[in-house]
Parts: sequence; C-alpha cells; structure tokens
Amino acid sequence: MIRMKELWRRLRYRFLGARFDHDLEEEMRLHVDLRAADGQAAGLAADAAQAAARRQFGNATQVQEKSREAWGWTRIDSWRQDVRYGLRTLAANPGFTATAVLSLALGIGANTAIFSILNAVLLRSLPVEDPQGLVQIRMGAEGDDELTNPIWEQVRDRQTAFSGALAYAPDRFDMADGGESHNATGLWVSGDFFRVLGVPAVAGRVFTREEDRRGTAPLAVISYSFWKRNFDGNAGAIGKTVRLNRHTFEVVGVTPPWFRGLDRDWGFDVAIPIACEPILHAERSSLDERAAWWLRILGRVPEGESLEQARERMRALAPEIFRATVPGIFPVDEQRNYLKNSFFLKPVATGFSEVGAQYRTALYTLMAIVGVVLLIACANIANLLLARAGARQREFSVRMAIGAGRARVIRQLMTESLLLAGFGTAAGLLLAGWGGRLLVHFLSTQRHPLDIDLSLDPRVLAFTIGAALVTAVLFGLAPALRATRVELNQVMKEHTRTPARSGRFNLGKALVAGQVALSLVLLVAAGLFLGTLRNLLAVDAGFTRHNILIIAANVEQAGIPAAKRAGAYREISDRLRALPGVASAASSVLTPISPEGWAQMVRPEGWVSKSPGEALLFLNRVSPGYFATMRTPLLLGRDFGDGDGMKARKAIIVNESAARQFFGAANPIGKTIGMDKDEYQIIGVVKDTKYNRINENGRNIGYLAAGQDAEAPPQLRFTLRADVPVETLIPAARAAIGEVNRGISLEFHNLETQVSESLLQPRAVALLSAVFGLLALLLAMVGLYGITSYTVTRRKGEVAIRMALGAPRDAVVWLMLRDVAVLLAVGVAMGLAASLAAGRLVTSLLFGVRPRDPAQLLGAAAILAVATAVAAYVPARRAARLDPMAALREE
Amino acid sequence: MLILKMLARHGQLHGYEIANAIQQVSDEVLQVEEGSLYPALQRMLLKGWVTAEWGVTAGNRRARYYRPTAAGHKQLLAEVEQYQRVNGAIHKILRAV
Repeated sequence: MIRMKELWRRLRYRFLGARFDHDLEEEMRLHVDLRAADGQAAGLAADAAQAAARRQFGNATQVQEKSREAWGWTRIDSWRQDVRYGLRTLAANPGFTATAVLSLALGIGANTAIFSILNAVLLRSLPVEDPQGLVQIRMGAEGDDELTNPIWEQVRDRQTAFSGALAYAPDRFDMADGGESHNATGLWVSGDFFRVLGVPAVAGRVFTREEDRRGTAPLAVISYSFWKRNFDGNAGAIGKTVRLNRHTFEVVGVTPPWFRGLDRDWGFDVAIPIACEPILHAERSSLDERAAWWLRILGRVPEGESLEQARERMRALAPEIFRATVPGIFPVDEQRNYLKNSFFLKPVATGFSEVGAQYRTALYTLMAIVGVVLLIACANIANLLLARAGARQREFSVRMAIGAGRARVIRQLMTESLLLAGFGTAAGLLLAGWGGRLLVHFLSTQRHPLDIDLSLDPRVLAFTIGAALVTAVLFGLAPALRATRVELNQVMKEHTRTPARSGRFNLGKALVAGQVALSLVLLVAAGLFLGTLRNLLAVDAGFTRHNILIIAANVEQAGIPAAKRAGAYREISDRLRALPGVASAASSVLTPISPEGWAQMVRPEGWVSKSPGEALLFLNRVSPGYFATMRTPLLLGRDFGDGDGMKARKAIIVNESAARQFFGAANPIGKTIGMDKDEYQIIGVVKDTKYNRINENGRNIGYLAAGQDAEAPPQLRFTLRADVPVETLIPAARAAIGEVNRGISLEFHNLETQVSESLLQPRAVALLSAVFGLLALLLAMVGLYGITSYTVTRRKGEVAIRMALGAPRDAVVWLMLRDVAVLLAVGVAMGLAASLAAGRLVTSLLFGVRPRDPAQLLGAAAILAVATAVAAYVPARRAARLDPMAALREE
Repeated sequence: MLILKMLARHGQLHGYEIANAIQQVSDEVLQVEEGSLYPALQRMLLKGWVTAEWGVTAGNRRARYYRPTAAGHKQLLAEVEQYQRVNGAIHKILRAV
C-alpha cells in the first residue's frame, strides 16, 4: 500500500517535474533571502549578508540535484542515457555490429530452435488438467506399452487405484471410399477419455461413459483443426457425419484448439469410442481378443496420494486381472508366465512421442553442438570487443578522468553488450521459428508426417532470454572489466601505441585457443556423424532399393469374401505385370525397412536352441518372383514356383544367417523346420537382407510361400520393379487395380524413399553437425585472423626496425605466426582431449565408426590446422609486405 | 529524525524555520550545510512522512510549510527508540571501559 502511494508520488513527479523543480528553487531562494535578512538585521552589509547566507546554505545546484535524485528517476534517466549512447556507438560501427548480431542470431536461433523441439517432445507437460497426476499402466518386465482390451475392461471396472482411468490407441482412418487412401489421424478412446483429461468441448459435447458400451452407435468427436479444415468452424458441424473406413460416424463434439491428443508428434483429427471397433473390424474385432495388444491405459493418481500408494493398489489387483484375461491361445507355460506378470506405473505428464524416444540422444547431442557454436560466437564477439576496447581506451580514460566511476563505465559497456544480445536474440527468435519448422519438416516422413506444436511457451522464452543474458555476460563482462582497468595518467599522457599491458592480450589469446578447441570438438563430431551416414548408405541391404514401387492394397472394406481374396490378388498381380514399364512384379505380406515385423519360434531339424531368443525366426510370405524383383540373390536351391500350392508339401526359403545358425556347414536344402503344428521343408537359401532397419545386425529370416497361406491376408503388398521412373507408374497401377475392384484401399511407396526415410535421424544429425562444424571453423578462422591482424598492427614498429636491419620476409612472417602456432597447438591439444571425453556420450548414434579412431581425430585436427593457418597467414604476410621506411616515419 | 522532531513539536514549519529551530535547540552545536535539509525533506515527502502545502510567511512571502503525517509520527517514534537503543549501548560500552 505504502509502496503504491510512493510510486504514485514518483509518477506525479515524473510528469510534473518542472513544477517540482520550480517549487524547490523558490523554497531555497526564500531560505537564503531570509538568512540574509537575518544577517542584515545582525548588522552585516547587504551583499556580505547574502554571501554569508549562500555560504551557509552550501552548493544550491548540488542540493537540487540531490533532491531530484531522491525522487528516484535518475537511475532510469541515466539508464536511458546509456541505451541511447550504446545505440549511437553500435550505429557508429555498423560492420562490428552486423557481425556480432548475425553471429548471435545464428547461435541463439539454432539453440532456440533445437530447444523448442526438445521442449515440445520431451519436456513440455500435456495441456490437460493436472498432467503430473497421469500415469500409464504397463506390464511385464519390458514394460509393454500397449495392453489388450480385456485388460482395459478389467482395469476400468475394478479400478480403485485411480480417481479416473482411460484407454486410447492412435490409428489412421481412411476417409476415401476406395482407391487411393485419404487418411485421417484417428484416436480410439474410452468413454471417460476427455472427462479424465479435463478436456471440454468447444462445440457440442464429448463422449459419455455409456457411449463406450458394446453395440454403441458410431459417434465421433473431432479436433479443432479438423473442424476448421473440414467444416469451416461451423457450429452446424454437430450432427453432420464423417466417413471413416467406409462407415458413417456422427459428429457429436469439437475439442478445444489446445488439445492435440496425447501424442506429441502429431495432433489428431477424429476420436471414436473403443466400443465402435467391431464396426470397422467386423471380421476380427479385437475387443475380446486376449492377445491383441493395442491400447494404452492411463490412470490418474488421486489427489493427495503418492504414486507409491497407487502402485500398491494396482499390485494388489494384478493377480485377479491377469486371471480374468489370460490368453487361451498361449501355450501352457506362456500362460503360466502371463499370470506371474505385474503392473507398473509410469508417469506420463509429457505425453507420448516417438520422435522423443527415437531422437532423444540425437536431440541432446544437437543441443550440445549448438550450445558450443554459441560459445564460440561469444568468444568471437568478446575478442572483437576487446580489440575495440583497446581503440576506445582514450575515451574511457577521459570519461573516468572527468569523474565517471569505473562501475559507471562498466555499466555503459554492459549496456552495449546487452543491446547486442537483445538484437541478436530478436533476430534469433525469428530464425528459430523458421529453423524449427524446417527441421520438423525435414524429419517428417511420408508414412508419418510430423506435426509438432512448436509454439513459444514460457519455458522456451525463458530459455532464450536466459541464453541472451548469459551470452551478454560471457562476451561483455571480461572485456569491460579489462578495458576499465586503466592507469589514467599513463593513457592520457602518452600517445600509446603499445599499451604494454600483456594481460588483456592474454585474455584474447585464451579466447582464441578456446575457440580452436571447441571448433575441433565440433569438427570431430561432424566427422563421426558423416562417417556414420556414409557407412549406413553403403550398407548392403541385400536387395535393390532403386526403381521399386510398393503398392499396399487393403481389401478389407472392398466387400470381397475371404475365400475369393486369393483370386483377386492373383488378378491384380497379373494386371500389374502386364503394365508397360513394369519389368517384374511380385507380392509379399511385408516389405523391408518398415516398422512392421512377424516372428515365430521354430524347431529346425536336428538343432537344439541354447536360449529362447536363438530359435526366433523373422518371417515374410512372398510370391514366386519376389527375390528376382527385389534382386536378392538366390544362393542355393530354387525359388517358389506355381507348384508350391496348398496341396504340395509346405516349403520355406531361409536366409544365409538362418542356414548357418541352424545347420552350420551342412547343406540345408531338404532339411525341415517346424513351426506351430507344421513342418516346412527348406527349398532354397537367399542372401541376408535387412528386415526392419538398415543398421540392424544380421537376423534369421524365413520366407513362406504365398500359395500355401490357408487364408489370404486382408492386406498385401505388391512390389513392382520399373524400367521407368516409379512415380509415373502410379496412375496406371491405380487404374489397373480399380478394374479388379473399386473398393480396394491403396497406398503407394517408393522403396528408395522408404529406405532413405529410415535414415533420417543419422542424416539429420550428420547434416546439422556438418553445418555447425563448418560454422564453428569459420568463426575460429575469423578469430585467428583478427588476433593476428591485431598483433601485426601492434608490432608494426618492431617489424619495420627488424626489416630495416635486414630481416628476411620469411623470418617476419614466422615471427608473426609463432604466437599463432602456439595458440593453435594449445587449442588442438585441448580440443582432442575434449573430443575423446565427449565421444563416449554419442556412441549410440554411431555406426561403423569408433569415437576414438585416431584417423578421425587427426583428420579433423589437420583440417582445422590448415584452415586456421591460412586465416593467420593472410595478415602475417601483410606484415612482411610492410614498407619499413613508411612505418617508421609514421611511428 | 531531527526534522521530524522539530515538525512534531511545532506542528508546521517551512524550510528556513526548520533549519533555525534545529540550530537553536541544539545550542548551535549541530551546524550542517543548510542546503542538505532540502534533499532530506524531498525524501520524506516521497516516503509520505510529511506533507507540504504552500502558505505565506510573516514577511508576506510564499513558503512551503511541512507538516508531519501519521506515518511521520510513527517513524519518529521508531527512530527515537532505535536511537536510544544505540545510544544506551554506546553508554554501556563507554562505562565498561
């Protein structure tokens, strides 16, 4: 209260300042006059009395100054002065200012961009009610992410551990009625989903618990962005319908713009109740499937309770729940294992993010890299400021001589630094917004287009402002302290060409050595990541990735009875093979380098597994000609043929690894492998291929015959090898399949794109580390150039004398470079040590390169040494070109 | 403190009167540059310990009269008490030596 009044008075003074000054003056005049009058009354002469009164009063101007100060705006006034003066100084040196602002903008921009992504996928809490109270229920030793619907129903109906529970699963729904898919990002949600998260509807309503009961009507809640996009944000959307996988869903509500679902990597378009699942998957509903793992289950820990208490209660519930949900199709010993499971709870306040999980190390590494770049930029600006401080020494001396305190001058210099940082940050924020979006776009794949919410939030803003302040202090404070430590007289007296204070120069040297060291670390990192990418690109995947078009055809909604599918697939296959430009065509259940997989335990003839993992065989089911189309060499035996049908003996083709592991050097052809109830005879061996990832170790893979599948799958992939650019095949392929059945859903993928998108993370890390490594190198070069130029200017007189006395040019150049060579050596030594230390942290991101590889380290050091030597040589040679007479005369 | 004390005793004074009053009461022991009175008054105005209004002196000139506020009285009591505590302490020390 008192403060408020005080502020009010201050403000009044601020605006009525002139009147206050005037009042004060009048008051003081009265004082002096009265005192003089008293003096006169005591018998003094009029002017003597006046003088005495003045004397007694003291310095009137100072009194007025002090009174004004009491009103307290002087600090702001002088600060404004500082800013004005700082702006003038910066404007007077546009070259310096532009360099500094640009390097800061790059540094801070890169930092903010990476941090905003890091924040969005790893740090930021979900914008839902009390996100800290949300936990995910996982089970088993590996903490399986997804659980079954029977488990969810048990948890929902018995839940006493939580104040609310929900289940959901992300999915894609096809909005097109056949032909090429037009996918919407979808969510399966439990009835309580929105209520437990505290998400209201901005139009209409969210689901009720009753709407998630078996046999529910098809209803949908849509997201704000979907509403804007497809219904123009019209309230009339409620009651309208959307088509999802050929079924009509009625829109009942719209969620607020801030709710994007629980996945951070993309928002959602439509949410539908889990109980609607049988509508979309009539034939094979997962609702009662005890081995269909697809739902994420979350609970909310009751307010005032600890996670531990909730855990205890879940532990108590676990045996009952598992008894009620044990999958009957499991073998007996697996059922026993299932019953021994336990639940555990994982806090999920930040939501789910594949990018976060997959790129965690990469993001932190990039964060460190851009942090180092910012440090190097700081060192550069500090050096520039140091050099400028040298030039401005007389200015400071004069200001200090006429009474400015050292603190005042430092404040002035820091104001300038803060201004620089401020401009840099403003430009950096612009760059960051743009760079962040670019990076997200870069990381997006055709399969999973990313839509990460990068909007500025308080945390990002605090980070950026913090970075700006820290950089300002880093690059501004040391030069300011150095610059103001002057012996006034000395500087004022002499025309000092050589300030002879080696201290400041040493700081400059230390900065440059530090820069060299940091740049080396970044160069080494760039080398490692580029090497990793090169190795990944050179990996022999075992198949050709060029000119391959993959068509995923889903017949589930096309109204083809299961018995007729095989025929439809055969017809599609024949039509595709007949297309002009198609060299060969085949079909398979899976295609390589995709996230999907299929594996089973096998019993190879005459082989006993030492551990359960060894008996695992990854599988695919392929048509005749698949290996030829993919150019995977057949090493032994034969490919599948038309003869491998339902009536023939079940056949299998294995890859080299599997043949070697199960049968050693013996010829595997004709041997059998048992799987489930069947025995498969090996008819061929093919070369090893990569299954899910390019950088995986060799896996045991087996291929089954398409013609021996008891029931054709609802989705099949056709692989076409083309003589023409693959994209040009798409229209003809679409038409050809449309002739068979218009209702088949299609997706087209270029295998080359699919493979290269699987390498996005190493590619992004390699590219960014190379860019930042180069930037660091450039900054280090500028730093060395600057410090050598400075040395040359400073030692002009000395050089001139040496040359006049007959020193050869080479000797002069060497003289100038000697210091630099020492700096370089120190910097490289420090950089190598730091690289060795940092290398261990990024091992998980490397492939085929060792962080301690001497060739890598020396290579980076050599590049750095040559580049910086060139940067230093240019000004050093200038010294050697000096005309001694001119230089001496100038002296 | 001294200014507040004078104002408390006399009710309201203008600057010159305050200076004179302090001198007289202290038997001219406390002689300061009279000018330093004014920044002090400004600070007190700001703190809300005194209020000021323009009046006319005996000699018919405009003068600013200062008057202590309730907050000023409270401040005076606090300062006097504080002063006496310190003074007492110094006394004790001096006696002890």
